[in-house]
Amino acid sequence: MKSVDRSPQPEAVQKWLDAAATAMSGAASKRRDALLELESAILENIDERTADGVVTDELVNDVLQRMGDPEEVGGSMLPGSPLIPAHQTRTFVFHVMAVFAVHFFLAVGATLAGRSLGVPPLRIAPIADPKNVLELVAHALGVLFLDVGLVLATYAVLSRVGRIFRVPQSALRVTTTPRRCIEVAIFLALVFIVVNFLRDNLLAMYVPDGDGVRQVPLVGPGIADNLVWFNVWIGLSIARELGYAAWAERRHTLALDIIAGAAGLFCLLRIVATKNLVDLSGARESLGASADSVGGLLNLVFVLLALGAAALIAARTVQRAYRLALLRG
Amino acid sequence: MSSLFDKIGAELRRGLVQIAALSLLRERLYGYQLVKVLAASGLETEEGTLYPLLRRLEKQGLLTSEWDTQGSRPRKYYRLSDDGIDALPRLEALWSEISEAVGVILQSDGLVALAEANSK
Repeated sequence: MKSVDRSPQPEAVQKWLDAAATAMSGAASKRRDALLELESAILENIDERTADGVVTDELVNDVLQRMGDPEEVGGSMLPGSPLIPAHQTRTFVFHVMAVFAVHFFLAVGATLAGRSLGVPPLRIAPIADPKNVLELVAHALGVLFLDVGLVLATYAVLSRVGRIFRVPQSALRVTTTPRRCIEVAIFLALVFIVVNFLRDNLLAMYVPDGDGVRQVPLVGPGIADNLVWFNVWIGLSIARELGYAAWAERRHTLALDIIAGAAGLFCLLRIVATKNLVDLSGARESLGASADSVGGLLNLVFVLLALGAAALIAARTVQRAYRLALLRG
Repeated sequence: MSSLFDKIGAELRRGLVQIAALSLLRERLYGYQLVKVLAASGLETEEGTLYPLLRRLEKQGLLTSEWDTQGSRPRKYYRLSDDGIDALPRLEALWSEISEAVGVILQSDGLVALAEANSK
């Protein structure tokens, strides 16, 4: 493409073009060419409709609205389905490097500690012989290939899912209102209070004890042992909602959303791994032999609920990560 | 009902714009110019649809393009390629057939037309 002078243009036009660029595939020169054509058309349209030389926001918005959804137009201009879309190459490299850095750092930590690190279900094994340079390099390469594979698989799945459902990228935008965010934050605060302070009262059985009744809490160690992680998750989720209420969809609010999602996923997987969510041993006197089978059934129900919630949170987090990658790209 | 009409109308136009654009691009035109000519001819087209269409036709080899950077603003001009010049008469003939067939169906009772076709 030949170089051309670009005249100053309204910020809204640049934002529209940036959004269109995120949806384009193909070589950088082709993307520049397509963007220049769109830019030229938009500015020509604005010029023609400007009677007195004054460009108003209303006029610009009207022209951009007539052009259509930038991501749909951009995607139609330069469609493609590579594993890593051209505009996401840098993001892909960044993600691989970030994952590799964390992975290798943990592997070194595990080696220094002399044991595996991590929390179930994630475990990072130590390097077998760190003094052997070849072993160290081989381990680093192994970690790198694994991480490239993981990130590539994630991109491929996201790309495939996007194509299967033909989700317009505009649909990934986080659209919420401050009022809705505050409502969710209040709800989360109530959940925090219930789980921390009222759980033994709400999830309990009352069994005869002498002249009166005795309260038997049914919450098993699966909840109690993971309370810290649960509180971290809820705290981050409240911060996320307040962030959306204050700044709407921005890179930092999306990042906070992803962190909260990761914390939620981690917490739920830990709870599932602990298994013992409901403990009916204290009610064995009144339930008799059926206590174990009822307890087992309740545990199964809660585990399934936790897995369902984890799947929803994972889907939401991946969606937000994808959205963030698009904004960064 | 009105929005349904608009939607069907837009789909119908979208299909027709392809042949109309190819026909107009016997002359060298740039995108925005083409939009205006189409609109003046009564075939109003969404710009967000036209530019991708032009790219697609170029990729299919029916159009060629070149940038003109001499004016105040760079413009990408399109024109029929040699393949496009060859294809246009055939597309026009196809359009005539389709137009005639749809005309017959619209002007007569569809079932009568079908019965006549079957009896031949």
